[in-house]
Parts: sequence; C-alpha cells; structure tokens
Amino acid sequence: MSTTSEPAGRKTALPDGSGSEESDRPRRQIAPIPDGAVPVMEAIGISKGFGATTALVDVSLKAYSGRILALLGDNGAGKSTLIKILSGVFPPDRGELRFNGEPVRFSSPAEARARGIATVFQDLAVCELLSVTRNVVLGREPQKGLGPFKWFDLRRADDMARSALHRLGVRWERGLDERGINISGGERQSLAIARAMFFGSSLLILDEPTSALAVRQAGRVLDHITHARDQGQAVILITHNFRHALSVADDLTVLAQGRVAANFRRDEIELDDLTDLVARVA
Amino acid sequence: MPEGRGASLRFRCSTQPKTGTMAHGADQASGGGPGRSIVLGESFRRFMLRPESTALAAVVILFVVFTILSPQLFPTKLTYISIMAVAAELGIMSIGITLLMIGGHFDLSIGAVLGLTSYVAVVLMRDFGLSPIVAAPAAVIAGAALGFLNGIIVVRFRIHSFVVTLGTMLIWRGVLIALTGGFPMTVDIPPLFKDVMAGPLIFGFRMSMVWFFGIGLLGTFLLTRTRFGNWIQACGQNPQAARNLGVPVDRVTVILFMIASALGALSGIVQVARFSSVDALRGEGMELQAVAVTVIGGTLLSGGYGSVVGTVLGAITFGMIQVGLVLAGAPGHFFRTLTGLIVVLAVILNTDVARRLARSRPLAGFRRSSAAADAAILGEAQPGRDGVEPGVIAESGEAFRDEKTP
Repeated sequence: MSTTSEPAGRKTALPDGSGSEESDRPRRQIAPIPDGAVPVMEAIGISKGFGATTALVDVSLKAYSGRILALLGDNGAGKSTLIKILSGVFPPDRGELRFNGEPVRFSSPAEARARGIATVFQDLAVCELLSVTRNVVLGREPQKGLGPFKWFDLRRADDMARSALHRLGVRWERGLDERGINISGGERQSLAIARAMFFGSSLLILDEPTSALAVRQAGRVLDHITHARDQGQAVILITHNFRHALSVADDLTVLAQGRVAANFRRDEIELDDLTDLVARVA
Repeated sequence: MPEGRGASLRFRCSTQPKTGTMAHGADQASGGGPGRSIVLGESFRRFMLRPESTALAAVVILFVVFTILSPQLFPTKLTYISIMAVAAELGIMSIGITLLMIGGHFDLSIGAVLGLTSYVAVVLMRDFGLSPIVAAPAAVIAGAALGFLNGIIVVRFRIHSFVVTLGTMLIWRGVLIALTGGFPMTVDIPPLFKDVMAGPLIFGFRMSMVWFFGIGLLGTFLLTRTRFGNWIQACGQNPQAARNLGVPVDRVTVILFMIASALGALSGIVQVARFSSVDALRGEGMELQAVAVTVIGGTLLSGGYGSVVGTVLGAITFGMIQVGLVLAGAPGHFFRTLTGLIVVLAVILNTDVARRLARSRPLAGFRRSSAAADAAILGEAQPGRDGVEPGVIAESGEAFRDEKTP
C-alpha cells in the first residue's frame, strides 16, 4: 500500500498534481550546464513566416542530454511552429539547426526520426483498432527473413511491446496482440513516450503532453518525462502549464510573439515571477 | 534508482513480481490451470472480436438455409463447383479492394480496369499474335499502371479516392466502349492456358479457385505478417499518426491502388480464359460487388480494420446466394435483395466493432496473463528479485504463451 502513496500524496499536496518535487523533498538543485558540453539540439537564429504572418523571429535554443528544457509561452507564441521545425515537419526560412554540433537540414519527419529525434505530437499516434504490440512497433516493425523476403517478427514485436509497457508500469490485462486498445489519455501519452524512449531516441520533444489530462494522469506523465531525462535523453517539453514546467524542467525558455523573451535555469525563478513575466511579455 | 524518477516505477518494481506469483498461486489452488470451459469461452470471445466472424456466420447460416430449401440440389458437388467459380472471379479482385479499403480508400474504377485490361490481353493475343504467357502479365502490368494513376492522383491532389475513381471508372469504361465499338471480341486461347487459369482440373473444381485461395493466402500474409500490412492498417486508421511515426503513407496508398488494379486485371484474365472473349460491359457492376463482398467479410467502410480471410468467406457467401437462389427456384431479383440485406446486416454488426473491442475483457481465468508476462520480463531483466525464483517466473511466462493458442 505504501507504494501507492506518492500519487495520492501528490494529489493532496497540490491541486493540479504537479508539485510533488517541492512537497516531497527539499528543493531540487539544478546543476549548471557543464562547460564545453555539446547540446544534442541547438537552434540558432531560427525565423519562420507563413505568408504575411511572422511566426518566429531569430529564435535560438539549446537542449542538452539529461536535461529538460521547458518551452513556455502563450497561445500563438510560436511554440508549435518551433517544434515542427525541430522535428522536420517544415524547414526554417532562416537560421540553422545543429544536431550534436553538426548542422542538419531535415526534409521530412522521418528523416528527423532516423537521427533520433522522437516527437510526441498533440494528435496522438495511437491507432485504436490495432493491438498494443502493433501500435508500439509501428514504423519500426522488427523483421526477419531472407534477402527481399522479409516478414514481421511478431514474437519479437510482442517482446518489445511488453518491455516498453513494463518500463512504463502500465498494466494491460488483455493480450498484447489482441486487436483493439482502450486506454486513457494519460496512458496514451505514456505509450507514446515509452515508444519514443524505447527506440533509443536522443531528443524527446513533447507537445503539450499534460493538457487535457486528469490530475493523477498528468502526474504520471511528468514522471515518465523525468524518467526519460534520468536515462540521459535531452527533452524539450512544450507546455503552457507553468506549474508542470517548473516541477520537472531544468531550463526554461519563454517565447512571446515569436521571439525568445527569457531564458532561465529552474532554480533562478519562482512560479509567481514566471507568471508575471509571461503576462508582461505576452 | 535516481531521485525524481516517480511513483510508478517504484510501484512497479516492488509489486509486480508479487502479482505474478500470487496469480500463479491462486491458479494452482483452483486446480492447475483454468478449466476447459473457460478456455473455450475465451477462445470464443477472441474469435468474436475477429473481423471474419460475421462472414463465417453468414456462410454457415446460408449453407443451412439453402440446404433446407433445396435438399436435393444444393448440397452437391456440382453446386459447390459453381459457387466456387463465382466466388473466385469476384474474390480475386475483392482481395485487392479489401487491402485498399483497410488502407482507407475506395476504388470504383476496378470494374472498368478489369474490362480494359481484359481488352488489352485479348488484343495482344489476337492482333499481335502474342502468347498468353506474355499477354496475361502484360495485362496485369497495365492494370497496375492504371492503379498507379489512381493512387498518384489521390495522394498528389489530396482528393478523396471515391471521387477520383468515380472519374477514372467513367473514363476507362468510355475508352473501352470506344475501342471495342460496343461489340464482343473473341479470341482463340491455347487450351493449356485456359486450363491453368480456369480449367476444371481440381476434381471438377475450376483452377480459378486455386488462384483465389493462393491470392487469399498471400493477401493474409501481407496484411498480418509483414511490416507493410501493419502500415496498411495504420494508414487506414490514423494517417497523420502513421506519417509522424515515419510510415510512408503516400507510398503505401499508391501501392495499394496498384495491387487492387493488378488483381482486377487478374480477375479479368480468368474471365477471358473462361469465355475466350471480351466485351464493352465486361466487369461492369463488379466494383460494387467487390465492396459488398469486402463489407460482408468484416472490413470497415471507414478503413483500418478488416481481413482478407473475411473477404474470401464473403466471396463464398456471394457465390452461395447467387447459386443457391437459382436452385431454390427464387425469382432473379431476389439475388440483389438478399445480397443487399446481408450487406446491411454485416455493416450493422461491424459498425460498433470499436466499442466491442474496447469493452471486451478476458474471462476470469485469463486476467492474470499480462501480469504473468510482466513477471517473465522482470525475470529476464532482474532475475531472482524480491525473492521470486526465476524458474517460477519462467513457468508462469510459459503459461501465458500457452493460453493464447487454444
């Protein structure tokens, strides 16, 4: 029973379920970024416009391995445009992306994915009528066979799905290979995160993973995000929930009207200041 | 374990092995594994969730009904041969349509493609004097090319395939009428080729049945046992998600149109071999019959869910209606009415499949399977943790595997 106490404690500690970091342990000290560390993903002077509207102006950011960068901003601040550029949906008009220090230009999301950039978009990549296994391995199906005659290695796919779910702590009482999947929004997010982590990405980009989630579910999703960070992933977390951002992030970048309004380390700012700041710049 | 990793992980590590052993122990107590009735019940539950369950029910029910209606004529070999001849010609092209519909698209032009490619085969044999061994593959390639055109228009201009193929259907039919001038064209076909495509060689059954079953097997393999098959289903359900995960959705779509039209051409060649002719109206109406067969087979109109086996059964259902009604002495128009009724019934049964899938839960004896599986994984990762013997975990893991097979 003691094992379940933390989600419960989380619920009582802060109504929105995000503040366990503060309530359970002393305030987290954020290590400074070591000198000479190469960011997994660096955006330098990114600008992007759509017709007459300018979405991004000269935006730069750095995402390091083992750190969570929270990207904050109001609706229309350019968050979504920025992550679409980072994950290869479209190229920037100006500016450069560097992946592990090396300039890159993605022509498709598949290309970014091949480099190890896993993006969990808001419209979740879950196919309701496929089995859990098929959902987990979608796009990376394990194959066996000879030469051009390759087929889907179902047994290995099942093993992969099982261990992906296992890492996540999701219990699935039906067969993994059974058609049809009925999981909550939080579990879907978790499934998408598990999938992204399982396939060995080095940068995990999450677009509003906790919006539209119930309190407890949001807490679990945040747990998975910190877990990904602790496993050495670079994480970019897009959110407009400041509490969620402050509870897990190491660094924060505030976007306003397509520009970078501020950069902080987590321990340099408090919730009230952040709220004030965003209200002021927006 | 680093700090800040969260509740779920701790929860999992400390309790799941226990869950596994507890379930295992409870199982032992209740008399060594779930009872036979539970195993049967669970198999039945899983079967009912399969798309082909309605089609199998249709085949069995119609067989019983027609046998009662005409006990002298229906359950005879001659009847089965006729049923399979009808089922095979329609079924081969329906398999292509099934894959396409699971991928989320329609092809109304398939009947016209069948007619036009049959014309190509006949002209190559008659006017160019080519051997059918050359002409038949040429016709199939021509079919694939027509399908490629459909697919390219659909993905390039983002127009719904229903409209695109409605257009190409009219175009190809018009071209065929212009080329044949509306008259039937006959051709001499070498008997060997005739026999290989549609001859009554298998104890009286036509060779088309062998093609039908062979392509059915290939189609099932493609859909359920290859990466491409997984992509087809994902594209039909959530193309944007599939694209985000790196599935080449457009390429899958174009290939599906090519497969559908190529199989349409193959159906056409079987008919050419059987009739030694082609006419301007060859294949007309088959595009909708193929949709009917596919729907009876349990494939959703909305895409993403379906089965080739179901379509094979659907085609047999179709053949049984056609032949069975004649034998029962029913008026000709009954055929359409009854087919329509069964299509509507099948759609009603299949519509809430998503709800059924979501609601369905394993029977009591099987609830533990996932936990047992998790324990097995934990056994691989951290053997002997929390006092659980690796052997015990492996054992419950085995049990998990076995339960799924019956």
